[in-house]
Amino acid sequence: MKVRGTVEFRDVEMGVWVLVGDDGRTYQLAGGRSSLLKEGQRVEIDGDVDDGAVSTAMVGPVLRVRSYKVV
Amino acid sequence: MRSAWCLSVLLLLAMACAPAPAHTKLTPPGKPGASAVPHALVVDFRDGTPSEEVAERARRWGLPLRLNSVEGVRSGIAIAEGVDDVDGALARVRGDADVEEAEPLVQFEALDFTPNDPDFPKQWNLRMIHMPEAWEQSRGKGVVVAVIDTGIAYEDHDDYVQVPDLAGARFVGGYDFVHDTDHPNDDNGHGTHVAGTIAQRTNNGVGVAGVAFEARLMPLKVLDRSGIGTSADIADAIRWAVDHGAKVLNLSLGGPGYSAVMERAVAYARSKGAVVVCAAGNAGTGQVSYPAAYAGAVAVGAVGPDGQLAPYSSWGDALDLVAPGGNTKLGPGNGILQATIDRTDYRKPVLAEYQGTSMATPHVSGVAALLFAAGAKSPDAVEKALFEGAESQGGWTPRTGHGRLDALGALQALGKTSPPVDFAPLIWSAALLVLLLLSLKVKTRPGYLNVLLNPATLLPLLLSTVGLWFLKYLWQRFVGHPPAAAEVLSLPIPDWERILFGRGRLASPLMYSALVPGIGALVAMKWKAIRPVVAGLSLGFAGFLLYAAWAKAPGIAYLPFTFLARPWLVLNGLLSAVFCRAMLRRESRP
Repeated sequence: MKVRGTVEFRDVEMGVWVLVGDDGRTYQLAGGRSSLLKEGQRVEIDGDVDDGAVSTAMVGPVLRVRSYKVV
Repeated sequence: MRSAWCLSVLLLLAMACAPAPAHTKLTPPGKPGASAVPHALVVDFRDGTPSEEVAERARRWGLPLRLNSVEGVRSGIAIAEGVDDVDGALARVRGDADVEEAEPLVQFEALDFTPNDPDFPKQWNLRMIHMPEAWEQSRGKGVVVAVIDTGIAYEDHDDYVQVPDLAGARFVGGYDFVHDTDHPNDDNGHGTHVAGTIAQRTNNGVGVAGVAFEARLMPLKVLDRSGIGTSADIADAIRWAVDHGAKVLNLSLGGPGYSAVMERAVAYARSKGAVVVCAAGNAGTGQVSYPAAYAGAVAVGAVGPDGQLAPYSSWGDALDLVAPGGNTKLGPGNGILQATIDRTDYRKPVLAEYQGTSMATPHVSGVAALLFAAGAKSPDAVEKALFEGAESQGGWTPRTGHGRLDALGALQALGKTSPPVDFAPLIWSAALLVLLLLSLKVKTRPGYLNVLLNPATLLPLLLSTVGLWFLKYLWQRFVGHPPAAAEVLSLPIPDWERILFGRGRLASPLMYSALVPGIGALVAMKWKAIRPVVAGLSLGFAGFLLYAAWAKAPGIAYLPFTFLARPWLVLNGLLSAVFCRAMLRRESRP
């Protein structure tokens, strides 16, 4: 699936990078290159939501990134 | 014979030289933690003394007197600090007709345990849940707490290191479900931080303190280096933990996806007598994450040092409690400080301050361990105590659950706050027995062991000195909540009135006297068969009352002057001893 949104860093737990999606959901980002992880960067991510994933961050569903482009 | 005399005198001397007991049955001895404030005194003026009068006296006496509080206008209580010669000043003050009382200023401290860990003062979170007071009652001794997380930095193994502050903490064997090994070391830092809050090595002069520092930690690694894992691994770990003896399961993790497999694992843990404590989630929305939202799990939200729900903390119908999780938006020092490993280099131990419902959860797990160690028998009992003991504005709400975690409140709710049994009255009785038997003629003396080995004597002796304290514990251990009769029998007879009239600060002069042995002795004049019973009873009363007098406790109700309490106890103790001697002598006659 493809999701558009804004990349943000959240200071909870160990610190976590999220995508605040234009669909209104917040995704915990997993995988992807480190160039993706820039505060405030607008991106479109191609990836999969891992429904079975459980994490320390607990900010929303885990989005496993396959690729992304800056928009 | 002479050696027996020497023995008894030595025994009594030893007792007289022993340090005063730390507690007594009814009233704490003197004023616990009281100490004089240097160069300060307190003056109690007649009620209604105007403040101008006080100011005028202050000038005349040359003392920096000021009313103690707004209440001082009515109560007339004033204090002066920075006084060089307190005794001299008191002598001047006491001569004044408007002064009712004047004395050195005394400060009080609550009975608590303050660990010597250098960074303990930064742990606002532990003070918020009243740990220093709770540690006086329980430290979670022996209870196994499973930390189902990223692992724990608990050993030096391969390139993993042990966090220095965890040296000496107690561990039981765990498992790494991510790499399938027996070495669940931490490569992330989260699990070690969480484990530290539960059972950090405490009072070791290093780093920080933990909630249940005499509990045993079981490291279970289910989350990888990035802090992510699968519901299948977590369900496995939950079952593994309870099958290996864990009584408390800490799950500072979660996700939005429902898993029937994990829900069944939580139910299994619960059915095996374990408490499952889970983080409510950090999405800051009205939806508690899983596994916290499953029935049977305790869902924990987070508050900051201001007691307000932290902005990130999730809430909702499934929320059970809130606990300190930090709020770093309020500035540095407002997160939860713990020893762990660096999140970018797992070979490097650090002290780190994090915030999250993950940080709140281990506080609840630690207190659950304190409750199990204090005698809670079931997860239901632990939950009940946690919820009843929580600080709340009244009732459950979706944002605070049953309220804010309070370790002391929970222990009190469990109803296990009575001080440990002390055997001093029993030892006093034994010493008295030696003296009493020595005062008898050899022919009529029944012998020390003969008296003590006679159940008819021993049982009333135990009942009147220390009570059958073990009865209550055995009942709780094997049967459940003890009935009122077991509660009564587990107290010494002179304290039985507490069942009827509650735990007052003053003892009844009827029960704290030779009345009961006296009645027994009267009956025994006619009915010789009960003489061994009355002997044990009287001996117990004598020992109990004399010990109470020696320990300066307790106050006796209805006596006109408090200083009469000790003569009263001594007199009645001796009287009981006389009854006992009479019973011992008559019993031994052919």
